[in-house]
Amino acid sequence: MAFFRSEPSASIVWAYLILIPFVLIIFPSGIIASGFLQNYWLSYDMKLLLVEDNEDLRQNILTYLEREGYICETSADYDQAFDKIITYTYDVVLIDIMIPKGNGLQLLGELKNEHPETGIIIISAKNSLDDKIKGLELGADDYMTKPFQLPELQARIKAVHRRNRLSGSPVVLVNEIRINTLAMEVLVNDRKIGLTPKEYDLLLYFASNKNHVLSKQTIAEHLWGDYVDHLENLDFVYQHIKNLRKKLISAGSTDYIESVYGIGYKFNVSEKKQ
Amino acid sequence: MKLFTRFITIYLVITVIALVIGGIVSYSVIKDEIETELKWQFLERIDRVTYLLEKGRRFNRVKKIDGDRNLAIRQLDRYEESRVEIGDTMVWHDYLEQMEANLKVTAYRNIDGTSYYISTHGAIIESDDITEAVIESLLWIFGIQVAGAIGVGFLVSGHLFKPFRKTLERIRNFQLQEKRHLPAAKTNVKEFDDLNRFVEEMTSKAVTDYRNLKEFAENASHELQTPLAIAKGKLELLTESGLTPNQYTYVESLQRTIRKLSRLSESLALLTKIENHEFKNGENVNLSQLVREGIHSFEEFISLNHLHVEMAIADDVQVQMHPVLADIMWMNLFQNSIRHNVKDGEINVQLTDSMLSLSNTGPEPTVPTAELFERFRKADQNSNSIGLGLSIVRHIADQNGFELSYTFEDGWHNIHVLLNGVKS
Repeated sequence: MAFFRSEPSASIVWAYLILIPFVLIIFPSGIIASGFLQNYWLSYDMKLLLVEDNEDLRQNILTYLEREGYICETSADYDQAFDKIITYTYDVVLIDIMIPKGNGLQLLGELKNEHPETGIIIISAKNSLDDKIKGLELGADDYMTKPFQLPELQARIKAVHRRNRLSGSPVVLVNEIRINTLAMEVLVNDRKIGLTPKEYDLLLYFASNKNHVLSKQTIAEHLWGDYVDHLENLDFVYQHIKNLRKKLISAGSTDYIESVYGIGYKFNVSEKKQ
Repeated sequence: MKLFTRFITIYLVITVIALVIGGIVSYSVIKDEIETELKWQFLERIDRVTYLLEKGRRFNRVKKIDGDRNLAIRQLDRYEESRVEIGDTMVWHDYLEQMEANLKVTAYRNIDGTSYYISTHGAIIESDDITEAVIESLLWIFGIQVAGAIGVGFLVSGHLFKPFRKTLERIRNFQLQEKRHLPAAKTNVKEFDDLNRFVEEMTSKAVTDYRNLKEFAENASHELQTPLAIAKGKLELLTESGLTPNQYTYVESLQRTIRKLSRLSESLALLTKIENHEFKNGENVNLSQLVREGIHSFEEFISLNHLHVEMAIADDVQVQMHPVLADIMWMNLFQNSIRHNVKDGEINVQLTDSMLSLSNTGPEPTVPTAELFERFRKADQNSNSIGLGLSIVRHIADQNGFELSYTFEDGWHNIHVLLNGVKS
């Protein structure tokens, strides 16, 4: 046991002995965590910058997005925003066109120069085609007109992030449901299920707004856009949800779509459900 | 009437008046002058006769002296004071065969105690001739005046009025949408400079007002949308805070109200934009494709409302208009026909090279159909619609020169859009 005789070697061994339990505890939990994170990786990792001068609107968006665990930073004017986009890298940046001390489109240009891989969504009060075209030409990925729905914003952020060249993944995972947004196909327990385009859209929208209550109106507006403006009867939303639910359950999926009485629907993937 | 014509007319009228007065004056002046000359000539002749009488020469009763056939010398048997009388007399003219006014000079002379009567009369030029001569010369003058006036007129309208016509042309080409005022061009004429300066001030004011109005319309829309977005967001956050279904119905109706407000402000902004002619024409829009795609995208709503759609759409109908306006016009009309329909109703869509017609079954409107094109006019005042759709359609039709008609017959709403100037 020459091993124990020398003092320095002994200390190394003791150190090992102390470290082993830590390694044993931390490593498996790391593996477990990585499996767990696999489902949530996309949202938990995402870093966002919100450039909007209106305090209340900023607060609304922040509150909604923070529940997803995004790292979300804000700037209220051009100068602040410029400093941030020069210094840090973001996955997605939301830019209001009319901001103090400058123009959102100008900021967009700077951002494209500095970090061309960043996803950009313009949020503007102007429903002007010119602005829309100009913004998209400058390299914005999406254009949203105020007043928008927060679930819609979230779905668009995720869509932009999925398409993102560096950090995005085209696959959305919700436990046993795997949505491949490139091929536009859905697999439940690795078995492909056939959905209509509207049902696919609906599922993706639910998956983008997990655990949020979505009203019929919100869902209808997402699926049909401005067309629903003039419709008073939103029963057709129910039809699509019923069909989607049937298809998911028959493929062996958990029934995630909960009907919230009098309000709408919720895609509930919280732990207790499983 | 052109300014030039007017100027010449006034000038010529004045000239004519001046020439008439001038003619009368010249006539009398010439006549006076001739008569004075004639009078002197006659008096001289009488003096000569007197001289000859004094010398002792005797004349016959009527004797031609110096070729004067009209000279009459008579010895009087009574005493007459020496005097000269000048007067007119009418004498028969053999050649002209008419009475002619002649000057007559009569003198009484006393020579060696005897009284003599010496008289002569005659005319060098007839008064007609004077008139003719005066008129002829005046006509010549008048002719030269007219030629001069027209010449000056052309010069004035061609060269002098050039800056004026240039300004006029610039005003005619002035487009408010281009947002450029007309800067005053420098001329050497005070009046034109005044005009140009005035035009500059006026157009720059119009441009400023237009810009302000446009900015106001846009800003008003922007300023409204942001608070609406805030309210909407807050309500969405509120729905996640565990509301009871009852509370939720309040929130939902608030959401609908916000949505309606936002649509209202958007529609008003759009209407302002159309009225400001911000959508310039210049593209060929394939209406056939637009209509087919529109119907296709509404298929679900059509079947949900149990509607039946009949289509008769001609291929490749092209219209020259702004694509956004074409889309808005068609969407508004078609959505109306779905929304204001009855259960198991019908919609007929017909598109030809010259006309787009939409007919749908629906309840009878409570106001005359023509009034439905006015702002905020709704067939059913309680409906959720904002009442701007048809007003927008009318503005788009007006701007593109389409004729729009709306009739209601036997439970059918018929809207016809006459597409004038269609290129197929």
